[in-house]
Amino acid sequence: MNVSGTGVTDAARQSSSSINPDGWVDEHGDFLYRYALMRVRRPELAEDLVQETLFAAVRTYTAFRGISSERSWLCGILKNKICDHFRKLAHEVSFTDLEFLQDEMSHKFIDQGWNHDLGPAEWKPEAEAALDRKEFWETFRSCLDKLPQRVADVFMLREMEEMDAGQICEALRISQNNLWVMLHRARMALRECLELNWFERKSRMNTKSDERRR
Amino acid sequence: MSGVDKSSSSPAENPSLLTGRNWFERLLIRLIASHTPKCREVVRLLSQSMDVKLPITTRIKLRFHYLMCAWCQRYEKHLRALRKVSSALPEHVDDCCSETLPDSSKEGLKQALRERKPE
Repeated sequence: MNVSGTGVTDAARQSSSSINPDGWVDEHGDFLYRYALMRVRRPELAEDLVQETLFAAVRTYTAFRGISSERSWLCGILKNKICDHFRKLAHEVSFTDLEFLQDEMSHKFIDQGWNHDLGPAEWKPEAEAALDRKEFWETFRSCLDKLPQRVADVFMLREMEEMDAGQICEALRISQNNLWVMLHRARMALRECLELNWFERKSRMNTKSDERRR
Repeated sequence: MSGVDKSSSSPAENPSLLTGRNWFERLLIRLIASHTPKCREVVRLLSQSMDVKLPITTRIKLRFHYLMCAWCQRYEKHLRALRKVSSALPEHVDDCCSETLPDSSKEGLKQALRERKPE
């Protein structure tokens, strides 16, 4: 009994007494707030999302098995809340960003082939090597900030909250074609921004500015 | 990349691909170019392939296109890296943001949470 019972007692103790919302606020509050703020941009709205997340966490705590870390569990709940937020927002605003849908990258192609001076450069060292660098994330963040708001929203729903294409179209009430164009433009702009601002290509940058002057 | 100075219009006439090639290789490249989408279309399809599975015929055309276009192939690699980076952003949010939840809000949250019970 003692040997086999230990596991049960531990599990029982875990599910009943280790719930510690105060600890969640102290340990993960800022993290959740930062993520929410990055996504919805308004502090009071971000605070609301954090609160909703933690309320839902208390409600569903018994279902949390501790397979993932507490932080990624809370982050998962927040992601769902963010998706809900945009679903509601789509009733009020249009996510079809017509301005951005105009082709901005024409200079990269000549007669539909790559302009040789402006084709994608080799990324060295590779992106994976940058993931531990704080400066890299600052650069990436500033690249995201340069995107038009609605386009960034759509891109992040796809890549960070990991909604699939169909779910996004339904939630934001946009056509699939529209979604593809927005994602395409977002990826193109972000790829370009990372290349110019993180992956070194000074010589190419000079060529580029010559090109612009012409 | 050699021959960049003579930049020209379509991938088929891409000098970095055609210079120093024999007539047969040049013919092959022209053939591929005329049967696969142009780069501008390829990058659009590559982005789409990140969201839906493209038809097999389109995927084959893209493979053939890569035989003569290193840029588009690189572009696809970059899109995959971009996905990896973006999905890792949530866990690195502390690296790029410094805002903090105000202390008063934290206290309010704790207070509200104490009154809640698991289902």
